[in-house]
Amino acid sequence: MTEAAAGGPRTVAVGPPSVEAADLGWTYAGRSRPAIEGLTFRLQAGHVLLVLGPSGSGKSTLARALAGLVPNVLPGRWQGSLRVGGLEVSETPARLLGERIGLVFQDPDSQLVMTRVDDEVAFGLENRGWPRARMVSGVPAALAQVGLAGFEARSTVTLSGGEKQRLAIADVLAARPGMLILDEPTANLDPPGMHAIFEQLAALARRREHTIVLIEHRLEAALPLADDVLLIGDEGRQLAFAPAGDVGRDAIGLLDRSGAWVPRAWQVTRQAGGPAVGAIEPVEPAVGAAVEPVAGAAAYERRAAGGGALLLEASDVRVEYGADDGGKRIALDGVSVSLRAGERVALVGPNGAGKSSLLFALAGLLRPAAGTVRLRALPPNGQPAEPLRDPSRLSSNEIAARIGIVFQDPELGFVAGTSRDEVSATARAMGRRRGATTGQAEDVEADRVLSRFGLGRLALEIPFRLSQGEQRRLSLAALALRPPAVLLLDEPTFGLDRRGTEAVLALLDDRRDLLQAQVLATHDPRLLPACDRVVALDRGRVVFDGRPEAFLAAPPYEPPGPWRDGIVGGPPVESRPGAR
Amino acid sequence: MSLLPAPLAPTRPAFLTRTTPVARLVAGTTWLVASIVTIDPVVPVRLTLAAIVALWLWSGLPLRRIPGRLAPLGFAILSLTAFSILLSSANGDRSLATLVQIGPARITGPAISTGIAVGLRVVVIGLTTLLVFGPSDPTRMADSLVQQWRVPDRFAYGTLAALRVAPFMAGDWATIGAARRIRGLSPRGPVERVREAGGRLLVMLVSAIRRAERLALAMDARGFDSGVRRTHFRELRTGWRDWLTIAVAIAVAACALFVAR
Repeated sequence: MTEAAAGGPRTVAVGPPSVEAADLGWTYAGRSRPAIEGLTFRLQAGHVLLVLGPSGSGKSTLARALAGLVPNVLPGRWQGSLRVGGLEVSETPARLLGERIGLVFQDPDSQLVMTRVDDEVAFGLENRGWPRARMVSGVPAALAQVGLAGFEARSTVTLSGGEKQRLAIADVLAARPGMLILDEPTANLDPPGMHAIFEQLAALARRREHTIVLIEHRLEAALPLADDVLLIGDEGRQLAFAPAGDVGRDAIGLLDRSGAWVPRAWQVTRQAGGPAVGAIEPVEPAVGAAVEPVAGAAAYERRAAGGGALLLEASDVRVEYGADDGGKRIALDGVSVSLRAGERVALVGPNGAGKSSLLFALAGLLRPAAGTVRLRALPPNGQPAEPLRDPSRLSSNEIAARIGIVFQDPELGFVAGTSRDEVSATARAMGRRRGATTGQAEDVEADRVLSRFGLGRLALEIPFRLSQGEQRRLSLAALALRPPAVLLLDEPTFGLDRRGTEAVLALLDDRRDLLQAQVLATHDPRLLPACDRVVALDRGRVVFDGRPEAFLAAPPYEPPGPWRDGIVGGPPVESRPGAR
Repeated sequence: MSLLPAPLAPTRPAFLTRTTPVARLVAGTTWLVASIVTIDPVVPVRLTLAAIVALWLWSGLPLRRIPGRLAPLGFAILSLTAFSILLSSANGDRSLATLVQIGPARITGPAISTGIAVGLRVVVIGLTTLLVFGPSDPTRMADSLVQQWRVPDRFAYGTLAALRVAPFMAGDWATIGAARRIRGLSPRGPVERVREAGGRLLVMLVSAIRRAERLALAMDARGFDSGVRRTHFRELRTGWRDWLTIAVAIAVAACALFVAR
């Protein structure tokens, strides 16, 4: 606006820019449908915009457009207009935009470039051609600004997730941009890391020195920071743009139905009675509806009959790794956990507390330095249980029937070229080993499973090409034909919106009704009420083992605040009651 | 859950930690050349001794961890030595005395000496690599290549970023294998094993490409290679220590080659 008029686009404007989007749209090269379409909003200089929407609604594409990566770096088709500080993004070289805009991504490990902290902060300044003297003073200043003073010589590998993300913020702050864009900066973080980032963002928002665009699904923490809210629905279409305190009920209803997380503060309209509710239809879990429900009474009977059988027992487990100084790092120390049929246990703890190590040890994928892990299959109705056995000594075939893992990144577990083969892979391998002929029967069974998991149309699709939510469901579907007695899940709802989370939980509920025992390692406290028990780890030791309500009432961490206030971005997800 | 050995880094300041990486690269190259131009075992013996002295006095590296670090080379050294001894042409020379007779294989004195020379060459390569790359981290090597040798930024820092994500790929590889075991798909027999390794590699490749795309986008977002002339946070200039290092390295290589026994 005035900035452009005053000095033309060559001027490096000082201060935060305003943002104006008019009918903005973008279609990635090779795609038929636009990622975003018809976005129209105006953000004042120094304001904070919170962008909300379901998975796949184009939130990250908007972030890329604001940073000029779209259309300057990535190929595709641009529509409409986007002006940042008066500069039309599609007509401004990336270099000029880059001087004004800092972009922070979700995954700390794929945005840090250098191995030393001070080199990392300096990287962006070197790229912009800063004189050395300014870098020497600017780097420590930026680190101090995010609470990382004195970290200059540290290796970025040794930082916690929260520290890495604060470093990523320091990286962009160092270049003194007028505008900050943060694309789900806390998604990979544990509650304390998330808490630290939000304190940082609150401090930045108060100073009004930056225009801030925040994409975030931890809504209870993000909403108070926002001046304005942009709601994007399915297929990248704008649902509403309004001041944060004055979003219309219709817009909230639309957002809710699109499957996004909706702030609790707004959900009064969803839960309380009154005339407004009539306008908002109840949530339909996209997949939950397609799942064959196990009749409630029958499920309880089965649980009563077989529930409570001990399936997995770890006692005094100790796991060690080689450390940087050539010594040993203890990942788990004296950990004892038991798991019974039909039970769902949440495994929580800060980054590095040993959650992944414990999952690997429980599955026999790493052999503990001390202690034992014992596992058995679910006893068939009325028959005696098999003896408990060490999973690391079972054959691949035997273990598949007893325990399954869904990894945080489902892609790493894929073994086949199509969704259908992915589902039937285990059954086929077992059949081959028994000498049975395999063929169409498995395909039919696999297709039935796929449609039950809401993936019916995607039977011939390549697993790598599915969306994040579809991949997660496929990784669960792959365990459906030969369901294991125990299922271990590493961050099963990571990156999923409310719709995706509810879909995954509905599928897990069905399995639990059939007495599967489940362990969910998670940073998302919203899942805790859907579990029967919480096991909390801290520095390799169990510090809590009990009911979720007891955990949330007094989290065993110092400070407990981030864990207690952790239920953010909506109420606990709905799930059927568990066995106990 | 890192599967790669922990990086070997200097634990104290030392003469070589104050030299620039390209100077060490030049110095190290002279030793590598000296060790391969002759089959006389005395040359690699001398260079090995010199390298040990340099590692001990001037590298700043923790000596205790060096044998462990070179252990993976042990197999290569032993097998190369054994094969060189067994297959040496000197064994066919009837004018030479037989030292050992194993079945039909006859081993002569010169064969043993050549075999040891070959094995020791690998030792020299290992130790010299440690002397070149050990005293500073890979970032300094990239800085040094860009500033002192005018290597393009895109190449030097792109390679550096790739190095940084390599440990994640090791983790991915383990996870992929674990996923297959737990789904009852562990390979049995050599044919399945080869096919399975292909599948694992494909998944790892996909994952690596995704990671690389994200990293490249993050680098672009921070103005990398945007046409602005890059400046340098850490300025590296060739100093007297560099010239001294190169001069000493050449002198040692010359002595190892030409001083008579």
